[in-house]
Amino acid sequence: MEKQNKAPAVNMKQVEKIITGYKGQKWALIPLAQEIQEKIGYIPPEAIPRIAGSLGLFPSQVQGVVSFYSQLYTHPRGRNIVSVCRGTACHVRGGKSILKLVKQHLGVDEGQTTEDMEYTLETVACLGVCALAPNMMINKDTHGNLNPKKISRIFGRNKKE
Amino acid sequence: MEAITIVLNGVPVSGFPGTSILDLARESGVYIPTLCYDENLVSVGACRLCLVEDERNGALLASCVAPISPGMVIKTNSPRVVEHRKKILKLLLASHPDTCLVCDKGNRCHLRKLAAEMGIGLVEYQKIPQPDVIEELNPFIERDLSKCVMCGKCIRADQELVVEGAIDYMNRGTAVRPATLNDVPLEKSECTFCGTCVAVCPTGAIMEKNRTYTGTAMTTVTTVCPYCGCGCTVLLGIKDGKIIYTRPAPTSPVNRGTLCARGSYGLDFVHSPDRLKSPLIKVDGRFKETTWEEALSVVADRFMQIKKADGADALGVFGASKCTNEENYLLQRFTRSVLGTNNIDNGSRLYNAASRVGLGTTLGYTGTTGSLETLERSSVIFVIGADPEISAPAISFAIKRAVKFKGAQLIVIDPRRTPLTQFAALWLRPRPGTDIALLNGLAKLIIDEKRMDEEYVTRMTDNFAAWAKSLSNYTLARVEDLTGIRVKDLQAAARLLAGAEEGSIVYGNGITQQPESAGAVIAIANLAMLTGNAGRRGGIFALERENNAHGACDMGALPDFLPGYQDLSDVQARKRLEERWHCSLSSRPGLTAMEMIQAAEAGVVKGMFIIGENPMVAFPQPSRVKEALSKLEFIVVADMFLTEMAGLASVVLPAASFAEKEGTFTNFAGIIQRVQKALEPVGISLPDSEIIMRLARASGSPMPFSSLQQVREEIERIVPFYHPAAAAHARTGDPDLSDVDDTMPGNRRLYHGLFPRGFGRFVPVEYTPIIDEKTNGHRFTLMVGSSRYRFGADGRSSRSARLKQFSPGDYLEISAVDAGGLGVNGVSRVKVVSAHGELLTYLKINDSLPRGLLYMPLSYSGGVYELFPAVLSAGTKAPALKTCAVRLERITEDGEAK
Repeated sequence: MEKQNKAPAVNMKQVEKIITGYKGQKWALIPLAQEIQEKIGYIPPEAIPRIAGSLGLFPSQVQGVVSFYSQLYTHPRGRNIVSVCRGTACHVRGGKSILKLVKQHLGVDEGQTTEDMEYTLETVACLGVCALAPNMMINKDTHGNLNPKKISRIFGRNKKE
Repeated sequence: MEAITIVLNGVPVSGFPGTSILDLARESGVYIPTLCYDENLVSVGACRLCLVEDERNGALLASCVAPISPGMVIKTNSPRVVEHRKKILKLLLASHPDTCLVCDKGNRCHLRKLAAEMGIGLVEYQKIPQPDVIEELNPFIERDLSKCVMCGKCIRADQELVVEGAIDYMNRGTAVRPATLNDVPLEKSECTFCGTCVAVCPTGAIMEKNRTYTGTAMTTVTTVCPYCGCGCTVLLGIKDGKIIYTRPAPTSPVNRGTLCARGSYGLDFVHSPDRLKSPLIKVDGRFKETTWEEALSVVADRFMQIKKADGADALGVFGASKCTNEENYLLQRFTRSVLGTNNIDNGSRLYNAASRVGLGTTLGYTGTTGSLETLERSSVIFVIGADPEISAPAISFAIKRAVKFKGAQLIVIDPRRTPLTQFAALWLRPRPGTDIALLNGLAKLIIDEKRMDEEYVTRMTDNFAAWAKSLSNYTLARVEDLTGIRVKDLQAAARLLAGAEEGSIVYGNGITQQPESAGAVIAIANLAMLTGNAGRRGGIFALERENNAHGACDMGALPDFLPGYQDLSDVQARKRLEERWHCSLSSRPGLTAMEMIQAAEAGVVKGMFIIGENPMVAFPQPSRVKEALSKLEFIVVADMFLTEMAGLASVVLPAASFAEKEGTFTNFAGIIQRVQKALEPVGISLPDSEIIMRLARASGSPMPFSSLQQVREEIERIVPFYHPAAAAHARTGDPDLSDVDDTMPGNRRLYHGLFPRGFGRFVPVEYTPIIDEKTNGHRFTLMVGSSRYRFGADGRSSRSARLKQFSPGDYLEISAVDAGGLGVNGVSRVKVVSAHGELLTYLKINDSLPRGLLYMPLSYSGGVYELFPAVLSAGTKAPALKTCAVRLERITEDGEAK
């Protein structure tokens, strides 16, 4: 795991406040985890014992659920999530090279976050827009018919901002 | 409920709805292989090896989780089932290393056993690489998750039985495995090393570490753990005369497959090289080995000489709450009939005298009023002055299960944070020593709010009016002022307890070792009766420190009671025994343990026989005790080790350990359990029963017993509640009145709430403040308590290699605020000074301690009892060993006190 130098300090007070809202509701572990993630960006490991205490679960149980779902994160993530498609259609249209290019641009590997906390790079199995292959998504925007030029433009432009 | 009939392998069988196919098959004697199934755990159907086929639709069902339904036609061994089962097992083996040849699990491996059953050899599938052994520093448990089959038994045992929550699944898919929080090593997690997961693991994934003796056990002996009063049933694996392992017995009603670190890893003291192998006799100040004949004839001669010269009451016997019932019975018979004195007491004086007095005055009988099942089904559990997680783990497990899985509300009353407080609905932190005020205050509140169980109070008890009147000045405001507990919390506790369908009160040494201990127990009994929770439902649970504290007292190893708590002043009772024992009995009550030592100091008692006890470390003012005992003309000690006490003796008799003898122990709840011999005694050591009988013979008054069975028969005659019928009822915990005589005197159980005297009695008790020594600049209250990896006087636990290795050194806990005020930190060395003594120790910051309270785990090597006064409480004749007033002095780097 790379060093997360610029990860912002977690506002535990805010986390506490979210947790308090679900006190005693054992069933609410997943919605609670999602809410923390939505507001904080990830689930800080130090929040796990507090969540457990509030819901009447063991901390190890909470960790079990959080580590089970790949959509729940225990590490800080970048401000922008880049999801490169590795589906069949994208693959035959050169998705592998696209991924390689994105990696070069960002200087990180799959599952990693850039040092400036700007991007987290992920891959997905299929984005469902095979007609535009090769594809990737940045946050909620889909970018289709990718080629090296487009990649340079996207990351060059985004970087300037 | 109507039974469901299904066809199982062509035979119609029926069971109740909700029964799993597996359970029904086992009942019907049909074997289905399982791996992740355990009778004490909730089935999850993780391994799928218990597959069966429903012939109607060809469905393959995991029989451990599939309930029976009408019309099922189940085949447990159809070709399809067998094919699938084999495939599943092969897949499991494909991700399992082929290291069986060197795996210590050996023939106990369930996976290997199943492979052998199904005729599976090496697997043709491609191997999946697995993680390595997890490096851990603890001396108890080793995890090699390459052998893990993900059956989840360890996780379920941890969460469902022990309720610790140290481990759970982590990650998903092929990366999944049982892990601690943040995947830290066990010693850095919540793990308490109870060893329950080791016992349930079907493979070599979780194994016992650092075993002294390895190999495959040839025999397994079922016996009872010799440490605390829970009396857990243990299985000892024996090979070549050595204990290879200790496992909890899965079917025991006491421990239900659980154990604690002491039980799992602490029984190797049996093989300690320190064990005494032959009798020792002191010649010119040095011990020399001798024969039993010589040793016993010296002992008999000297005892008889002292008896002749100074009278029988110049002799004293300090018996053993660790020894069996038979041994205690023989010991008191020897003392009364051969030595001719009532100077006999046992080690439980230090912690359960208060229960005897307190429950005796109120309920009319002396001990826990329910079984562990009663406790576990209680809807409210009130724990006061007890840390059962440390002192009596099986009871703690039951409490936690009640809270976690049965919705019980837990009220913990303790100034200190204990492992139970996190499970508590309400945690009250009274000032130390104010329990009576608190209990009286709760009682008054319940009466004032008309929440008492009026029907019970009217029908079952007396003296209510006088007692209720005595509570008049325990107003909420005063109780709040005395205890420091807010009115709101007092009200909440009173309402919870009074509103309970079934309520149980658990108390421990925090109550029984305080100065007003008997009064506090009476206040507890009053509260229990007021809420209708004594006997008929719920109960009072008195924790016992030692394995047979209950039995030793039942057997009459007490200075003021004959066996079965028959009063010494009862002429009829004495006469019955005199006729049986062919002797005349003294009616003069004897001396208690502490009084014997005081009498030794005064030169009144001249000779003592001490069995398995170590007053030189377990009593207050050890150095004074040593001085007093040194004045004795003659001391005989029977022990397993050359303890501090034995060092002082003229003759030392080597005693056999619990594993080397037969007999019975009575646990804290009064269940009489069989102790079975697993090993031959070390050297020429003998069981205490044999020692006492030989000594009686050498003294010229042989006892008419040729076997322990005969001793047991005499006990059954003399102690009515040791009669098998009564004992059997005690065991089931659900007594059936039909063939038991309720009027049986001293019957232990409150059968259907019937008190032995016919009624329970409310007894007024007043709160008196602890004499304030704080005026002397002793501004801290020091509290002591048990420690997880040590036990009792540490004679046995310090001789257990792994317990000794893992127990932390001596330390003193202090709150951060107090530490700041003194200018000390977590590594400072301090001098602790009381009005009676002082000691040096290290500080540890504990943020959960309230200001002004210090806590020290009991550690006899540290000499903490030097700080305590040797003052006896009037009712119990026991010293107060829970708290004392101290001040702290900082030790500077050059060793100066400041």
